[in-house]
Amino acid sequence: MDQLESLFQPTQVSNREETRIAYSRDASRIQGECRAVVWPETVTDIVRLAQWAAETGVDLVPRGAGTGLCGGSTPQNSVVVDSARLRHIDVLNLQLKHVVVEAGVPLDQLNLNLRSSGLFLPVIPGSHRSATIGGMIATNAAGLHAVRYGRMSDWVEEVVVVDGKGEIQRLSVGDRNAFAGREGITGMIVQATLRLTEIPKSRSLTLFSFEHLADMLEQVKQLKTNSALSALEYLNPHAAGLVGWTARHCVLAEYYSGEGEIRDPAEMVNLWGARESLSARLTQAGFPISEDPQFPPEALEDNLDWLMVQNIPVFGHLGVGILHPRFLREDARIAELYYRVSASGGQISGEHGMGLKKRHWASEALKAEVLALKRQFDPQHIFNRGKLC
Amino acid sequence: MLIDLTENPDCTECGLCREACPVFQIQRQEEYSPRGRVMLDCAGLQTLVFYQCTLCRTCRIVCPIGHDPNGETLRSELINAGIETSANQTMIINIRLYGNPFGPLADGELPKVLTCC
Ligand SMILES: Cc1cc2nc3c(=O)[nH]c(=O)nc-3n(C[C@H](O)[C@H](O)[C@H](O)COP(=O)(O)OP(=O)(O)OC[C@H]3O[C@@H](n4cnc5c(N)ncnc54)[C@H](O)[C@@H]3O)c2cc1C
Ligand code: SF4
Ligand code: SF4
Repeated sequence: MDQLESLFQPTQVSNREETRIAYSRDASRIQGECRAVVWPETVTDIVRLAQWAAETGVDLVPRGAGTGLCGGSTPQNSVVVDSARLRHIDVLNLQLKHVVVEAGVPLDQLNLNLRSSGLFLPVIPGSHRSATIGGMIATNAAGLHAVRYGRMSDWVEEVVVVDGKGEIQRLSVGDRNAFAGREGITGMIVQATLRLTEIPKSRSLTLFSFEHLADMLEQVKQLKTNSALSALEYLNPHAAGLVGWTARHCVLAEYYSGEGEIRDPAEMVNLWGARESLSARLTQAGFPISEDPQFPPEALEDNLDWLMVQNIPVFGHLGVGILHPRFLREDARIAELYYRVSASGGQISGEHGMGLKKRHWASEALKAEVLALKRQFDPQHIFNRGKLC
Repeated sequence: MLIDLTENPDCTECGLCREACPVFQIQRQEEYSPRGRVMLDCAGLQTLVFYQCTLCRTCRIVCPIGHDPNGETLRSELINAGIETSANQTMIINIRLYGNPFGPLADGELPKVLTCC
């Protein structure tokens, strides 16, 4: 530790008890153990830190806002590298519609800064107030508008990463596989060049509700052919009741046009507010464990039906098949859910990543990919050891 | 009423409020965020970090379930335990002795004018 302290300004490193406790877990609440935290302010700070870790064998855990739900930034007797002071929004190129930002910039702050340019980054996870650009790239976040805009990797032009050899790598779209969705195992993302798009001129919403799943899925199929569609969020009857909506299968559809039934801005804010409060409300209601399977369209009915029968509250980004069923702690039905996901050709992690929570479910193919990436970028395994698989 | 909730929903540690906290905006360290404070309290710590809260309750306004940070209670527990900062002690002595938190005025010095946002 003394050696670590000597590498930085006193305000950039801490191992006092308060710090170690506050960084000992992320939003997954999987408990870990933090040795110390470093707040780098420049890329060279991270290079120095990576070299120190290679010499000492200490594991480094990159951390953004700690809103991750799989323990990806939970330390395991590690030094946490917090991007909270890497917050510059560097260059905005209006012609190319590109912006260069540091990894610790929170999404809402970026979009607020961009507002006067008429552009925005349209990947909006439910955690948009806090989630950082680095964390969103590392988890390949999707979110509320995935049905229109896809996920984070679709919006990254280039990233600057400090890898496990302490080298600064400038990786472009072609190397996306090395950083997007890799949960910090290849190194610390320091800066990113992001693509942007125009802020929509108008928005409207319609809240549909259905007695039968089959009717809902038929309507969803039709809605997805509408070119103005910008969000398609689902709440099953157990979840809908919790936010005061009719306890039926509800679908909140957003359009970038005036064709929705709800056009009053205050009413739209209320509906989105209710939808975005669901995660915390379900935790409060005794369902703290959030899963994120992604099902192919043909497997949705059967699996949504199973979740209903199990009395499991579910919400999610139905437009892209990503669901968030909520479970009790130590719920044996989680394993059953994963078997169902595999059997139907879906993904165990639709958007949250694998972290510590799901690493036991990693496929052999994923393990082989991770090993190859580690060999190339982090042969001494100094970044996020034991995560992902 | 903002303070003294009869029931305060437990913090879920989602982290959605941290950017709204003015102290976090200055410190940029998780222990000063509303979630960090909850974690310190849950771990049973009595720490000076609890004094570094403006009691503004912005965190409660943005919190999806309205968790209240209970800053006054955390502070009064510190005071009961005799945990104070030197700035606190000086301020209290000054108020007792001179009737203001800044201490004695030099000859001809005017009292400081405090303005509010
Ligand atoms: C209420 C709520 C709603 C959510 N909704 C969504 C949603 O709609 N869609 C979605 O995709 N996710 C969602 N999430 C999950 C989470 O917010 C996302 O995964 C987000 O992208 C994490 O960003 P972060 O800055 O908090 O990263 P962290 O949680 O700090 O880290 C996440 C992972 O990224 C790595 N990492 C962080 N920063 C860096 C960096 N600079 N370089 C390298 N690796 C890094 C960490 O090591 C970790 O493995 C939600 C979470 C909550 C609590
Ligand atoms: S009440 Fe305290 S913890 Fe909450 S936002 Fe204000 S300063 Fe931060
Ligand atoms: S106070 Fe509310 S918003 Fe903040 S971390 Fe706790 S539950 Fe989340």
